[in-house]
Amino acid sequence: MVSLRGGDETLTSAFAHLDLVPRKGRLVPLRTKDEVRASLETYQAYVVELPSKYAGVIKDAIQRALPDLKTADFQHLRRVVQFKFLPPHLQQQFKSPRGDTEPALDDAEAEDESAVRYFLVSPTSAIQHADLLATLRKSPPFTNRPPRIFYVTVPALAPTSAEQAEKWTNQFWPIAYKNTNPYGPHPSLVSRNTAEIEADAGHLLALTQSAANQTSEKGLGEQVGCVVVDNSNGRQEIIALAGDCRWRSPLGEAEPKEGQGNVMAHAVQRAIAIVAKKRLRAAGKDELILDRTLFCDTPLTDLEAQVFEVDNIARNGYLCVDLDIYVTHEPCVMCSMAILHSRFKRCIFGTRMPFTGGLTADPVKGRVGENVHVEKGLGHGIFWRPSELNWKLLAWEWKDEDAADEGMITNSISDTLQA
Amino acid sequence: MDDEERKVHEGFMREAIKMAELALVSDETPVGCVFVHDGVIIGRGMNETNRTLNGTRHAEFVALAGILSKHPISILKETDLYVTVEPCVMCASMLRQYGIRKVYFGCWNERFGGTGGVLNIHSDPSVDKPYPVHGGIFREEAILLLRKFYVQENEKAPEPKQKRTRELKTEINPMDVHAPKSMKSEAEKAKMKAEKVQVNGTANRTVTT
Ligand SMILES: [Zn+2]
Ligand SMILES: [Zn+2]
Repeated sequence: MVSLRGGDETLTSAFAHLDLVPRKGRLVPLRTKDEVRASLETYQAYVVELPSKYAGVIKDAIQRALPDLKTADFQHLRRVVQFKFLPPHLQQQFKSPRGDTEPALDDAEAEDESAVRYFLVSPTSAIQHADLLATLRKSPPFTNRPPRIFYVTVPALAPTSAEQAEKWTNQFWPIAYKNTNPYGPHPSLVSRNTAEIEADAGHLLALTQSAANQTSEKGLGEQVGCVVVDNSNGRQEIIALAGDCRWRSPLGEAEPKEGQGNVMAHAVQRAIAIVAKKRLRAAGKDELILDRTLFCDTPLTDLEAQVFEVDNIARNGYLCVDLDIYVTHEPCVMCSMAILHSRFKRCIFGTRMPFTGGLTADPVKGRVGENVHVEKGLGHGIFWRPSELNWKLLAWEWKDEDAADEGMITNSISDTLQA
Repeated sequence: MDDEERKVHEGFMREAIKMAELALVSDETPVGCVFVHDGVIIGRGMNETNRTLNGTRHAEFVALAGILSKHPISILKETDLYVTVEPCVMCASMLRQYGIRKVYFGCWNERFGGTGGVLNIHSDPSVDKPYPVHGGIFREEAILLLRKFYVQENEKAPEPKQKRTRELKTEINPMDVHAPKSMKSEAEKAKMKAEKVQVNGTANRTVTT
């Protein structure tokens, strides 16, 4: 039997008792729903070629012609760009009609102040091509000669990382990256939190598997398990541990595996209920309030009992605020929202569930039938939708070191199981 | 839906409202529900999040824990739910996994509704069978109960240090429960705005006195 003591012990010594083989791999922060959207949306914009000394004049002329133009909407795009900083496909597209690689202005202008620049005018939706041409023809230098106007495709929204900015600069148009992330957690917040949890994550995910094994070996549930940890304010405590119990009958016996079983007994639901019981106990209240056998919120295995018995929950705490939850698999939509309702700080899961998971926002290659690969994912991204849902948290998926095929899910449970 | 049918649904929603009223006097967010099988109520539930210190003890969970101790899970395939507030994302997914037949509800929940208010968990792609929903039965009464609760809790716990508790107690903001975004008319939006000011005004008064 494994043994786990709590109280004054650190996580590290608890792991030593358990004889756990930590999973080897790394944590990958999940992309938010808005980040996924931002990385896909593009629009068409006008670009006009001009001598650099006229950039200001033309900018003003455009602003006068389009007073409603919100430049904030394309602040992530460099407005005035030199030929040499354009991505290769645009250099190809913009090069002079003479066919050389230099732009179409006079050679004398190329090196001095009046060298050619490419000015990003506006989205094409803001003005008709003919109207833009007419506007430009009223302003120097285009009063004498017609401007060259190009169409380019640009990312609609700001990049969320330096890597993305660089990629887009090569792929679309020079991008300004301001080290912020309007569509998700700030990069520095993510890296700070990753650093806080990465040392123990492999162990804790191994522990979720032990939790899963103990209930599934009894025939009570699927191979899904979870662990709730307090890893804040200098504390390191395992607060709750639970395995899936969907096949446990109201009388506590293993039931035949038909349908989805008892949905309320998913590992995440059980762990949250066990945290609540610890809180009731710590507050000196009756922990049997609304005790229902269907909730399966009493410890049912050796490991669960050992964790439950320790009075290590912080006083004056509230729901699961400041707590982290580790799960063998990406939680189903119900469990993802339960994690949000409980106001967890961080969630880490071991394996994606492309057909049922509620946390991820982007699709991933999944297996359908024998060997057909399809892009699959529900796309809910429930962990971070602050403008719609009532809480947000940081979330990571685990990538095993020896994963056979990058991005390909190899799963211990059925792909279509609700974890 | 004809008159006779509507009366039947309203009768069951009336029972759900009774559960919500019970929640209100128990200092719980006033959401109530009943599950109906063959025209018979087989289970009742109300929100129990405050008493249990468990943010997932919504009315639907509480009712189902009772029902499934007496009935096999398969009964839910022929069972309808009547709930005063639209099921949240969590409950909407739970109901779908259990195979509920149909859900009737009072007001929409724009903060975490799972059947139209925010997400469409009842009908989105999933491995489980979708279910139909019908919202708006006694909508005003459901909202009024939430509003009463909001004022009641603000009167009780004005101290800032209890903010966290209050946060949960009033987890469904009465300003957030109306028609789904897609159904809202301009007139209704304007009305909502007016209501919002009014509710905020009430809340502020009670907190500062
Ligand atoms: Zn689940
Ligand atoms: Zn709910």
